[in-house]
Amino acid sequence: MSISGVLRIGHINLRVLDMEAALDHYTNILGMKQTDADDHGNIYLKCWDEVDKYSVILSKADKAGMDHIAYKVASEAELNTYAQRIRDYGIEVAEEAAGTLLSCGPSLRFTLPSGHVMRLYAEKEQLGTAVGTTNPPPWPTDYPGIKAHWLDHALLMCELNPEKGVNTVARNSEFMRDALDFFLTEQVMVGPDGDIQAATWMACTNTPHDIAFVGAPKSGLHHCAFFLDEWYDVLKAADWMAMNNVKIDVTPQRHGITRGYTIYFFDPSGNRNETFAGLGYMASPDRPPITWTEDQLWRGIFYHTGEEAGEFTSVYT
Amino acid sequence: MLMRGRRWLVEIEDTDESFRCEENEHLLQGMLRMGKKGIPSGCHGGGCGVCKIRILDGEAEFGVMSAEHVNGEERERGYALACRTWPRSDLRIRVVGKMARNVLRPKRKYGFV
Ligand code: FES
Ligand SMILES: [Fe+2]
Repeated sequence: MSISGVLRIGHINLRVLDMEAALDHYTNILGMKQTDADDHGNIYLKCWDEVDKYSVILSKADKAGMDHIAYKVASEAELNTYAQRIRDYGIEVAEEAAGTLLSCGPSLRFTLPSGHVMRLYAEKEQLGTAVGTTNPPPWPTDYPGIKAHWLDHALLMCELNPEKGVNTVARNSEFMRDALDFFLTEQVMVGPDGDIQAATWMACTNTPHDIAFVGAPKSGLHHCAFFLDEWYDVLKAADWMAMNNVKIDVTPQRHGITRGYTIYFFDPSGNRNETFAGLGYMASPDRPPITWTEDQLWRGIFYHTGEEAGEFTSVYT
Repeated sequence: MLMRGRRWLVEIEDTDESFRCEENEHLLQGMLRMGKKGIPSGCHGGGCGVCKIRILDGEAEFGVMSAEHVNGEERERGYALACRTWPRSDLRIRVVGKMARNVLRPKRKYGFV
């Protein structure tokens, strides 16, 4: 695990069709608070348990989906090292001045083999958690909704077409490992010989994943997930969603992969969100990765039924 | 007491089936109530494009929908996303794209694809 290098997921920039509806969702359902807005009308939000100024950026657009995803690096010196390593890997890097990302120091912008835009930065203004650092209560009383702790991870759909020799799941995973020091925690292997890497879960911290890649006909955003403590919070979160007519894709249950307790649901623009609760297990680079075989892959995704639920493969932005 | 909206009849041309849809519910909600298997119930937010239809006849009101799935020119030709369409008269529609394909979903060869 990293105490240097890439520290954690920093933020996700989501495209939304209706800003007012999106803001209502991320505040009153997820329990985030708006911390800033910029001249382009982008809105910045954070969860109560996060120290940095924002973890979600909402941008009005005519298409839903993800604009970019960003990870925080421990120091500017390491940011420069990563710029070089990404270039050495063979991927172009744009070095952006401080302030390109609101309230952030310099950032790197590059495109994953799957086509997703990723950024790294070492500095973001800190506002602190909602409970402070002196004799803090365990949770704040003035946050609405399900009071998500933090943005936990994202799952990106990556073009996979073995017949044409395209596997951007494998290419992304190799890049994340070789250039950014992420390690593999779990994978799904498919195909007649079980040698096609169709999905991966990777970590830079000791949670079971900080990013995941799943094969799909076309690249896109499958979901971004927000952390809750435990199973009962997941149940109550789903209650709150139903009371507010949030479109739930998959009701509370367990993932085999990562062991997380989950709900899949959609924001008002159709971007899938997840609540993710539980430790899963203590991930570590020296813990051998777990493999799920093609015949058991739905057991991996939805442990209880072992079948596809909701619109896991057919619907994403 | 909640006022019930007017109910309209929506005919699906491809299958000769029809369903009733209230003025204050979108076409996808009405369609799902038919209880037919294979109707993709996606994001209900106009973002994922799974519920694409073409309106052949009738009046409707529309919400904002992703340009990735229905562009301006298609809008003019009657294409829309069912989850962003509220009926204002009886309608005749056709299901298209993933919506039509999903009913006869082919077997996957590589796990997810
Ligand atoms: S269900 Fe996603 S666009 Fe209608
Ligand atoms: Fe997830």
